[in-house]
Amino acid sequence: MSIAEVLNGVALGSLLMVLSSGLAMIYGLRGVTNFAHGALYMVGAYVAYSVGTRLSFWVALLVVPVVLAAVGVVLELVFFRRLEHRSHIEVGLVTFGLALVGERIVVLIWGERTLSADPPSALSGSISVLGTNYPTYRLFVIVAALAMASALVLYLSRSERGLHIRAASHDLETASIMGINVDRVSLFVVALGAALAGLAGTLAVPYVSLDPGMGAGILITVLIVVVIGGVGSIGGAMVAGMGLGIAQTVGTTISPSIAVVIPYLALVLVLLLRPTGLAGRRAA
Amino acid sequence: MRRNVKRAIGVLALSAVVTACGSSTTDSASTEGKSAASGPKEAIKVALIPPSTGALAQFGSDSVKGWKVAVALVNAKGGVAGHQIELVELSTDATADSTLRAAREAVTQKGAKFIGSVMTSPEHGALNLQLESLGALSFNSLGKADDLIGKQCAANAFHVVQTNKMDINALGESLKDLPGQKWAIQAVDYVTGHDAAAVFKAAAKKAGKEVVLEQFAPLNTTDFGSNITKLQSSQADALFAVEYGADGVAFVKQAQQFNLPAKFKTVLGFNMVSEPLFPVLGDVVSGFYNNVGYNVALDNPSNKEFVAAYEKANGSKPYYVPADAYLAAQTLFAGIEKATNGDPIKVRDALKDLSFDSITGKVTVRGADHQVVRPSYVGKVEGTGTSKAFKIVASGDGPAITPPANPECKI
Repeated sequence: MSIAEVLNGVALGSLLMVLSSGLAMIYGLRGVTNFAHGALYMVGAYVAYSVGTRLSFWVALLVVPVVLAAVGVVLELVFFRRLEHRSHIEVGLVTFGLALVGERIVVLIWGERTLSADPPSALSGSISVLGTNYPTYRLFVIVAALAMASALVLYLSRSERGLHIRAASHDLETASIMGINVDRVSLFVVALGAALAGLAGTLAVPYVSLDPGMGAGILITVLIVVVIGGVGSIGGAMVAGMGLGIAQTVGTTISPSIAVVIPYLALVLVLLLRPTGLAGRRAA
Repeated sequence: MRRNVKRAIGVLALSAVVTACGSSTTDSASTEGKSAASGPKEAIKVALIPPSTGALAQFGSDSVKGWKVAVALVNAKGGVAGHQIELVELSTDATADSTLRAAREAVTQKGAKFIGSVMTSPEHGALNLQLESLGALSFNSLGKADDLIGKQCAANAFHVVQTNKMDINALGESLKDLPGQKWAIQAVDYVTGHDAAAVFKAAAKKAGKEVVLEQFAPLNTTDFGSNITKLQSSQADALFAVEYGADGVAFVKQAQQFNLPAKFKTVLGFNMVSEPLFPVLGDVVSGFYNNVGYNVALDNPSNKEFVAAYEKANGSKPYYVPADAYLAAQTLFAGIEKATNGDPIKVRDALKDLSFDSITGKVTVRGADHQVVRPSYVGKVEGTGTSKAFKIVASGDGPAITPPANPECKI
């Protein structure tokens, strides 16, 4: 296997890692299977496209996660908090409906035609990696995703807010009894999860082409990543996202037809052998 | 006695009034009859049902532009067989359900007997099933699925646009003249991709060229990194790519990031590059070859008249969507002209095996499946920025590229 093929896997895994860590965070704390997460990623990509073409990619990289965090705040205050005592299925269906609404809004604003954008000039072209020319932008995606993952892990493990998040994710009621403002922590986590979806969407703009179905297309893979990683485990989701990206890319070089089913095979294997996932704390 | 006289007078008066009214009605009818016989004939209505929202809305409105130019030109010349043509515009969201609803409304409420500008193949498949009960004819200038002249064909449906097979055959015909000896095939893992790859391999063999790599990517692939890496490490010096829609855009843009096009002497696309995608694909496609449905520079009186009128009406030269709509209109007009009236059944019968001069030269409506036998082209993208345009480098004659009629089509 060539170095380019390995990097292809790492690049795809990086994108999955950013996206799935946000979904895992929301599930871990809120217990909500957020079917709207793919739509958040898609909305993030379209907003980033508009900001990037009018201002610059770098502005989009800063602005879009903030915009999506605001959307996350609305999600939490209007839906998740009000529905927190309802069954998971009901809340899941609500998020599914929200995803459909989001997709329609994107169609109304941007249309259904496929969009695409070039990387910023500083990231265009290719760089030699161990004698192999590889696209600079893909290397940037890898670096950005790894930096995000490191920062997130450090934040969760070292900061006071991170401690509260970990406590609330472990046991919401006990955390509340211990004096943690779980509403505030939930608001922060959902906003952060949505912001990560926005970041993934922004990184995706010069990587893949944009179409309104892009969120639904990646959602299944991301859900599989979260289950494999261990439902609610951010670290597990990161490891699973990277692993699945590499496995799928390597599989494509061997047999594209088989590579399509790799995520599903991995899901079946994990559920059979380790139902709580690679790093899961509790059953799904 | 006096009462009887009064009754008699009353009856007489009443009969006089009735007689007067009767003769008045007769006169009026007779006058109308004379007027209809000597005045202009009834206008023939054509319903246009393009998508008005979504990705295909632009194609829909461009298709209507083609019809409008055709109708304006023919009406200015006195109409077709003495009938003026009237367009009835309805809209759809490119789903079969809404298109069928619009078609029913057009026929039953608006009086249209001919339908055009329906966009996708699934819409046409559904419409074809209803045409006979509606008593209407459809002129398809957009849906390219081969099944529309196969198992989904209908006696009242006319397939004006080339089918996918016709376009693929045209590419195969041109292969011998394209630079590159060792070819790689990158195709969508779908019927069209496999069909195109099979035709291409046969054409490559015939042209003395070699296919060194053949790979398929699932539909809706977002990351072509692995495919591109394999293409880069292959021995190929030319590429045949069958990726379209969002997949095509992703493939081209990612190939650009890997600097893949520089490796190949020829990049030949099938349905991958088209004029509406030029802004999205950017300048990387300059130099790419692709199948092209219509040659705007074709030197015949009909095409020159169309291009001039279209440019005057819309401020730009036509591309394949309005051109194919115009050809659909020409096909309908040729049928009406031969039938001498707007009766759909007579027009349908008149069109059987009819040949006529069109914007693409002389074309024939094949009686067996109602496919218009017409040429398809291979174009090379030239220019950059907003000046990008296809230059036609090869053409496949209609009879040479049109496969034999599918026996599954029973008309």
